[in-house]
Amino acid sequence: MPLPLYYNWRNLLRRRLSTALTFAVVAVVVMVLAVLLSFASGIRASLAATGSPRNLLVLKPGATAEGTSILWPEEVARLAQVPHAEVDSSGRPLASPELCVQTSIPRRTPDRAIANVAVRGVDDLAFEVHPEVRIMEGRSFAQGAMEIIVGRAAQERYHDTSVGDELQLGRLGNRLFKVVGVFEASGGALESEIWAPRTILSDAYTRRFVSSVAVRLTDSSHSREAVDYVKGPTVQLEAKTEPDYYKDLSRTTREIVALTTVLVAIMAIGAVFAVANTMFAAVDGRRREIAMLRTIGFSRGAIMAAFLVESVLICGSACLVGLGVSLLLSDSRQDFLSEATWTVLAYELRISPAILAAALGTSVLVGVAGALVPAVKGARTRIIEALRKA
Amino acid sequence: MLRLAYLYRNLTRNPLRSVLTCCAVALPILIYVLSTAVISGIDGFLENSARQLRLAVMHKSSIINPIPIGYRAKIESLDPSHSRLLSVCGMRWLGGTVENDPRLLSTLAVQADTFPATFPDMQLTPEEIAAWNRDRQAIIVGSATASQFGWKTGDRIAIVPSVPPYSPMEFHVISTAPKGHDPVTLFCRLDYSQEALRKYQADVKAPTEGWVADAWVSFFFVKCAGKDDLDYFRQEIDKLFDRTPDETKTQDEKSFMNEFINQQFDLPRNLTILAIVTIFVAVMAAANTMSMNVRDRINEVAVLRSIGFSSSVIFWLVQFEGLVLCGLGGLVGAAGPYIAFNHTPMKDYQVPLIQALIVRPAVCLEALLVAAAIGILAAAWPSLTASRLTVVSALRNLE
Repeated sequence: MPLPLYYNWRNLLRRRLSTALTFAVVAVVVMVLAVLLSFASGIRASLAATGSPRNLLVLKPGATAEGTSILWPEEVARLAQVPHAEVDSSGRPLASPELCVQTSIPRRTPDRAIANVAVRGVDDLAFEVHPEVRIMEGRSFAQGAMEIIVGRAAQERYHDTSVGDELQLGRLGNRLFKVVGVFEASGGALESEIWAPRTILSDAYTRRFVSSVAVRLTDSSHSREAVDYVKGPTVQLEAKTEPDYYKDLSRTTREIVALTTVLVAIMAIGAVFAVANTMFAAVDGRRREIAMLRTIGFSRGAIMAAFLVESVLICGSACLVGLGVSLLLSDSRQDFLSEATWTVLAYELRISPAILAAALGTSVLVGVAGALVPAVKGARTRIIEALRKA
Repeated sequence: MLRLAYLYRNLTRNPLRSVLTCCAVALPILIYVLSTAVISGIDGFLENSARQLRLAVMHKSSIINPIPIGYRAKIESLDPSHSRLLSVCGMRWLGGTVENDPRLLSTLAVQADTFPATFPDMQLTPEEIAAWNRDRQAIIVGSATASQFGWKTGDRIAIVPSVPPYSPMEFHVISTAPKGHDPVTLFCRLDYSQEALRKYQADVKAPTEGWVADAWVSFFFVKCAGKDDLDYFRQEIDKLFDRTPDETKTQDEKSFMNEFINQQFDLPRNLTILAIVTIFVAVMAAANTMSMNVRDRINEVAVLRSIGFSSSVIFWLVQFEGLVLCGLGGLVGAAGPYIAFNHTPMKDYQVPLIQALIVRPAVCLEALLVAAAIGILAAAWPSLTASRLTVVSALRNLE
């Protein structure tokens, strides 16, 4: 027969200070864990939403990002016959030449810190190659006009990027572009960008070349063949599927996340020690009580279960509080500077069900790991000796 | 002496509890040491930047826009005697990778004649400077990057630049700048890289545009003689190029570097928060132990008081117990990473952003002090309770 739950509850309340301190330790650890995981998953979600496996990104061999790649018109022309490229209604292959530059815009934070924002010059074709890009406010730019559209994440974070605002772009920073629309791209990295008509941008930055060409394939299963063709003797350029490219962009980011995860793991182990300490004290303080419980018929298993339940009760409730605090931070938008492109990519902190499960799992694990040895010790109490001490 | 013996007995009376508490303090201290080491690595780099009295001149509209190489002569003309404005060094960013290796390098092609004078903090030896001046393929590889790639002075290495000409270039490692403050940057000679660039231009028959032409650099570094000169030339340089096609933005080197570092997750700030939070955890874990210790011994304390020990002795006994307990934990937590990152293969571990994690004795010492503070803080309430004990009521509870 198990011990009633309120026995655990009353025990916790008896050692209030000890319970409260252990509770606080676990709550803080869970909070840090949840915030950290939401960073990592926010970045992952943003990059996962970017780029379709059906899209091929063609760069200059040797270039590490779109921003440092130069494709001359004749190199772009070599891409006219990529195998399995999707064609539009007029029979043109869906290969979108794009020019990537960047500009410095102050953030909307009080300190107006500067952010390097990517500006992409595209033809109308780009909207067919990137179908996830949809105008959500205003309209798209007109080719040939000094107009731009701004990604949702960029619009939220940077000054002078709302519809109707004017932004100075160009190599000399002397061309006024008018913001005519805001677009979304299913939460992906493109939402951190500003898009402009390619020919106008090319002129403003005196760049008579493009950075990359995005080719849409009929099916993602053909990407291997198409990549080989682009790398081969006919074209001699570098190609990656878009998901691969964006995965490479966040290499440092993933390293930082891995590093902080190690730190939180160390913290969790520290919490195990704190919990174990408390539970040992609880067992020691209750030797006679345990002996009594054994004599009136409770089994060893029941005693062990009682201590485990007690520990999990502390850790579980601490977990809820920790998660509650971390939820306050949820849904806020952050950004980071990719070391490959030197432009900022925004992502959203979000406490997902997976993170809830991870936090809950960690706290239960901490509770069980911390209470296991004390519980076994408690269950093995020699009845006669413990009672005799009375 | 008696008190020390009593203290020792108290600590070993419940060895398991003492060990667990030590561990619960040691791990947060470990985190504290690691995050402080990262922060101090970044700080040390920035402080060196500030000390060097250098200005960074870049294009006003964006760092990726190049500026004309001829600006160097114009900047130098601001102080023809070179007594206040010591030297000007133009640079072009090459980035780069080693073929079939995904790791990104940070290579800068610099004007060879003024580089040693502008960057005395590289601390090159006269022989290295001679080699730098003699060999156009010379490259200086930061110490951390050198050890990660296994490069030594005298090696021949090939780097593929991330910008035109995009084709592998061969370099001769002349130094790994062991005393330099920047362990990750590679410096090669601009004249050599521009030559490769001119060949590329001829091959692709590109129009001479800013981005590919050899007459442009990414930025200039300007070495000044004093703090006043730094402020003076910061304004004068921008004024000089005001209303020209390529306006400049001049800042001191620290602000220039800071702009990049702060955009990378605000790492210094966030790691500070993490360190503070872990210390908070350690305080609570230790406070828990101390309060349990005192509660278990409440009768004993009452007896001590009744046989004549003053309340201040009781107070200090508990305080000291907390101090020793946390001090031991702190010692383990601080010595662990110190040994691991200075005397084991882990010292070559690559940390993002600062690359090489250097755990300095000062950081460990600081962590020890923090551990002591944790001990004092954790024992504060229990020691007060113990010393303020009402003897009679405590003795009454004696079983």
